[in-house]
Amino acid sequence: MAQVLPVRLGAAEDTLIAQLNSVGATAAAERITVAGLPTRRVESYHYTDLKMLLKTVPPLAEPANQASAPALRVAGAYQLMIANGVIQSSTTAPAGVMVGDAQGSALSTRDDVLVHLNGALAKQSLTLTLEGSVDPVIQVDRRIEGAAAHVADSLKIFVADNASAVILETFSGSDAAHVGNHATYLAVGKNAMVTHITVDLSGKATSHFATNEYDLDEGAKLRTLTIHAGAALSRSQVFARFAGQGAHGDFTGLNLVEDGQHNDITIDIRHAVAHTTSQEMYKQIARGRSKAVFQGKIVVERDAQKVDAKMMMQGLMLSDEAEILSKPELEIYADDVVCGHGSTCGELDEESMFYLMSRGLPQAEAETMLVRGFIEEVLDPIEDEALHEALVGIVDGWLLGA
Amino acid sequence: MADYDHIPTLKENIDRATVDSVLSLDVDKYKYGFESAIESDMAPKGLSEDTVRFISAKKQEPEWMLEWRLDAYRRFLTLTEPNWAKVHYPQIDLQDMYYYAAPKSTPAPTSLDEVDPALLEMYEKLGIPLREREILAGVERPNVAVDAVMDSVSVVTTFREELSKVGIIFCSMSEAIREYPELVRKYLATVVPVTDNYYATLNSAVFTDGSFVYIPKGVRCPMELSTYFRINEKKTGQFERTLIIAEADSYVSYLEGCTAPSRAESQLHAAVVELVAMDNAEIKYSTVQNWYPGDKDGNGGIYNFVTKRGDCRGANSKISWTQVETGAAITWKYPSCILRGDGSRGEFYSIAISNGYQQVDSGTKMIHLGKNTSSRIISKGIAAGFSDNTYRGQVSAHARAKNARNFTQCDSLLIGDKCGAHTVPYIESRNGSAVFEHEATTSKISDDQMFYCQQRGLNEEEAVALIVNGFVRDVLQHLPMEFMVETQKLIAISLEGSVG
Repeated sequence: MAQVLPVRLGAAEDTLIAQLNSVGATAAAERITVAGLPTRRVESYHYTDLKMLLKTVPPLAEPANQASAPALRVAGAYQLMIANGVIQSSTTAPAGVMVGDAQGSALSTRDDVLVHLNGALAKQSLTLTLEGSVDPVIQVDRRIEGAAAHVADSLKIFVADNASAVILETFSGSDAAHVGNHATYLAVGKNAMVTHITVDLSGKATSHFATNEYDLDEGAKLRTLTIHAGAALSRSQVFARFAGQGAHGDFTGLNLVEDGQHNDITIDIRHAVAHTTSQEMYKQIARGRSKAVFQGKIVVERDAQKVDAKMMMQGLMLSDEAEILSKPELEIYADDVVCGHGSTCGELDEESMFYLMSRGLPQAEAETMLVRGFIEEVLDPIEDEALHEALVGIVDGWLLGA
Repeated sequence: MADYDHIPTLKENIDRATVDSVLSLDVDKYKYGFESAIESDMAPKGLSEDTVRFISAKKQEPEWMLEWRLDAYRRFLTLTEPNWAKVHYPQIDLQDMYYYAAPKSTPAPTSLDEVDPALLEMYEKLGIPLREREILAGVERPNVAVDAVMDSVSVVTTFREELSKVGIIFCSMSEAIREYPELVRKYLATVVPVTDNYYATLNSAVFTDGSFVYIPKGVRCPMELSTYFRINEKKTGQFERTLIIAEADSYVSYLEGCTAPSRAESQLHAAVVELVAMDNAEIKYSTVQNWYPGDKDGNGGIYNFVTKRGDCRGANSKISWTQVETGAAITWKYPSCILRGDGSRGEFYSIAISNGYQQVDSGTKMIHLGKNTSSRIISKGIAAGFSDNTYRGQVSAHARAKNARNFTQCDSLLIGDKCGAHTVPYIESRNGSAVFEHEATTSKISDDQMFYCQQRGLNEEEAVALIVNGFVRDVLQHLPMEFMVETQKLIAISLEGSVG
């Protein structure tokens, strides 16, 4: 009936197609030529219309000559760095950590434009194999330095059976209009315990895209924490798959958005086998003229009985121009499960404010105190003290930066 | 009617109604699946500009209406079918169906006696009261004015005179276009714009009939108004268009029911319903949707692609949607409220039951535009058999919607391990003072509940029906009385065969 109209391509798409062709990724180039960047009509990008938001793409990155100071220092952490997509040499690895590299991207072949781009453009992946109980926090410092650049980098982590580790990734760089497309694949072995934290601290002009894929084996325990506190435009994607019985995941996040920013956290939690549990807790705070987006999806596949999954999104509006958009989805194909989700959105409680101010706190301080309380639920489970303190520092910095 | 003769011993203390309902379960799950032999006047097959002209000419429409339709048709050609809903179906061949089918020999009957007896018989079979005298004589039934639409035309509208005494206009859409063109022009497509979506645009081009209701200022409609939709002809699509206008300080309660014959091929029903509520007006719109759902292997059934939207245009107006969705092979329907007037209120109560291979993707939209607007959504989805049941709903507050308030609760119940229940809410807050709460749960009927009921002598199916009725009670109590009983029976019928 209705004829399919050809997609009109913009400057960003033209650059991407040229870049993909220049590295010989003709299939990925063809895909963008046919479909363009996703618009709001593509369900998984409903609130983040990349076609509209990503106006230009800078040239592919050159190796970095100079590095700025690390965006976040955690006392006692073992640091690794990827700058402009190139793995930098590092100090001697602590016991139980094996560092290496592999060709290409670490992600699977998921049908997603950011995954396609990373797959085609990331030349190498930093690989970490963790065995036993790794004591120091492992920090992967991912940077984009120098003039505006389009960077695709990749990290692949295997956590062996019965191992435990705390992994922190930070994203930062110079203040240019970069486009960063970061990939992380994390496999959690049988009965292993992992905490994985990603903190976006990139410059105010950067477009930050990160895709995290998780595979959980039997009895694995995973806690993730996604913090957005930088970038002009950002989107963090979390794709987790429960592949072994008895696995449990806590997925948490903090989306801090201020004037001019558009930050999106999109998660897809897939319970593929029975007797797996997960809890999702995401908090969004928006001030100024900004947009905070949360898209969460819990999928319980056929025969994945006895799954228990609960998702919660809480939004806090600190201004009238801000927008908090959320889409918490449940997709359930097994009948003997307990699943639920909740979503709330509002401003600071007037009575609580009155209570604090009547006891002599100035308005700004009372506000900060309430917001800290709101956030603490997400930060509290981070046991490493130095790390917890560093994260509180980031949140405080954001709160006071108003 | 039930045949009691072959029941060996009918005990005195058993209620006849109970026996009736059990027997009706036994015989046929979908009791409206019959086909009536009524000769029809059809448009040529397929969709084209000529079809649009044909329909417009058949309806003796004024020139502006034809232009309006043609414009919609041209715009339709530029649109593509939406694919975001969680439903799967083979490509619908829009050229392989009829867009107009009208029972012959019905050039405006002046009284019921002139109506084709076969038609009356059909409605009798469906349990729809068309004879005013009979209705008036009925003691236990309250009065209900009915507009009966079969395929593409309205065959009869009852109680028109009585309603007109208080200034209420209740007639078919075709008549309204001819007799009240100013009203139609003023309000048509002001709630659902012509190019709102693929199916709404198609409807705008080829819509055939539906109901038109106008409640003047300050009038409280003395009886329930209702429209009964029936698809009868083979290979026809039904494109109904309903417009309800409630002027300031008025009230109307409107019911809608629908059925279709059982056929192996699927048929399309693409409706547009628009409601307009002015200052302090209230519209209550209830639907019991019971289109043919297809057979147990998923063959046939109606594709129900519907756009329903209410506009709370005036201050403190209220629109309330209540729906019970048990039929149709595919349901794609989101009755919505645009809360434009300050202090206006929107409500959505829904029970969606899917069994066999049915697919339901339904929910609502609450668009808060005015100050102090509030909305409430209660949705109960029940999936059984091989079906998929999705709640998809949007709640959004715009920057000027100060103190907007929403509460949403959607619960899903899964019966059996081959079905799916999904929830897709879109929650969009664009100002600080808006307060939104949303909660959703998915669960199955607990073994404890089943044990309790069965231990008290209910069989498995009865126990399920009882528990499900309890599950949907929050919504049921918002239905008009006469629908409530019907619905409880419907729920039992829809779920039959889903256990074990």
